[in-house]
Amino acid sequence: MKLLIAEDDLISSKILEKNLENWGYEVSLVKSGEKAWAALQDEDLRLAILDWMMPGMDGVEICKKIRRRKRNKYTYIILLSAKDRKQDIIAGLSSGADDYMTKPVNFLELRARLQTGKRIIDLEDKLIFIQNQLKDMASRDSLTKLWNRGEIIKFLREELERGKREKKAVGVIMADLDYFKKINDFYGHDIGDAALLQVVSRVKRKVRTSDKVGRYGGDEIIIILPNCPQSEIKIIAERLRLSVVRRGIKTDLDTIPLTISVGCACSDDSPQLTAEKLIRASDEALLKAKSQGRNCVVVENLSNKGRKNA
Amino acid sequence: MPNHLNSSQDLPIDFPEVLERIGGDELFLEELLKIYFEEFGEKHAQLERAIEQGNFTLIQELGHSLKGASANLSLTVLKKVCFSLEVSGRENKIEQAQSALAALEKEFQKLKDYLIASPLKKGSD
Repeated sequence: MKLLIAEDDLISSKILEKNLENWGYEVSLVKSGEKAWAALQDEDLRLAILDWMMPGMDGVEICKKIRRRKRNKYTYIILLSAKDRKQDIIAGLSSGADDYMTKPVNFLELRARLQTGKRIIDLEDKLIFIQNQLKDMASRDSLTKLWNRGEIIKFLREELERGKREKKAVGVIMADLDYFKKINDFYGHDIGDAALLQVVSRVKRKVRTSDKVGRYGGDEIIIILPNCPQSEIKIIAERLRLSVVRRGIKTDLDTIPLTISVGCACSDDSPQLTAEKLIRASDEALLKAKSQGRNCVVVENLSNKGRKNA
Repeated sequence: MPNHLNSSQDLPIDFPEVLERIGGDELFLEELLKIYFEEFGEKHAQLERAIEQGNFTLIQELGHSLKGASANLSLTVLKKVCFSLEVSGRENKIEQAQSALAALEKEFQKLKDYLIASPLKKGSD
C-alpha cells in the first residue's frame, strides 16, 4: 500500500522510511508541506504520516486542506509532533487528523496504528464496491439483467445529442414476444420467464456491442442503436426476428414456438426528434406489426409522418 | 548513588533502544550518526551566534530540533541538555542557555569518545 511521509527532520524521516519499507509499504518521502500537498493529489495515496512542524505549510494545515476537498476516497492521516500537551493533541485531531503520535515515535505502536488506518481504508473500499453494485442493480432489470427503462431513456437522450452533433442517425427497436400472455396463462409464469430470457439472450447475441438492450416493460425489449441509418435498421430488426423464430423453447410437455414482432424508428430525417417521440414511433410500428399478423418487422417512416402532419 | 556508573541512563547512547527502533541495522545506525554529526556541527555554530545575539526564538528552535534528532538516536543525555536549551530560549534565560551550550559541547565530546571505544564501530579501525 502506498504511504506518504512528510517530515523535514532528516534522521527521523530516514528511520520512518526504513521501518515502513520493512513492513511492506510503498513509501514516498517529502520534506515540506507544499511537496506533501502535491503528492497527495495521487488518488492511490491514502495513508499519510505528517509531521506537524514543517517549513511552509505545516501538518495541521495539510490536514485541514485534505478534509476540505471533495473527493471520493478517504485519506487516513497520522500527525506526528513533539508537542505532547493535551491541548496540542486536541488541536491536532481537530484539524482533521485521524491519529496523533508524539515523537520520538515508538515503532511497534506506529505499526499497530497504521493497521487501524488500513482497516478504515479497507472498509471504505468495501462500501464503494457495494455502492457501485447497488448503482448497477438500480440501473438494471432484476429478471433479465437488461438496462431498465430509466437507464435506457437516459442513454437514448445522450445518443440523440451525440447524433445531432455528429450528424448521425439513432435507431430504436421495440420487440415483443408474440402470444406472451398465452404462454404465461397456459404454461405458467416460470415458463413465461424462461421464454423471455431465451429471447433476450438471442437478441443480445445479434446486436452490435455499441447497441444497448433494455427491458421497456412486460415482455417489451427495447434496443438503442447509435449510428444506425434508416436503411440498416430493418436489416438488423429482421436478423433479430429470424434468430428468435429459428428455435422454440422446450418444456416438459412440448416445444413452444417462439416469435417476436418488431417495430423500428430512426432519427434519420428528423434530427430534432426527442427520445419520447422516437420511442412512441417505434411502439406504434410494433403495434402495426402485431396487427399485420405478428412475427414481422415494421419500420415507422418518420419523415413521411412529418409531412402528413404539416 | 552507588549504582550510577552501571545505569544505562548515564551512557551517551542507549544502543539497545536505538537498534530496536531501526531493526538492528548497525550500518544504518552509523549512517544516521554521521548525519547527526553534520547537523550538530551546523546547528552548534548557529547556536553560538544566537546566544551571542540573544536571539531567543532561534535558541528555542535549534534546541527543539536537536532534541528531536537526539531523541531519535536515543542520545539520552544530549536530549536532556537540548531540552534545557529549548526551555532557556522559550523563557529568555541567557545564563541557562550559556550553561546548556557548555553542557552540550561536553556531552557531544563524551558521545564521540564513547563511540570510538564502543564495539559497534568495529568496521572502522
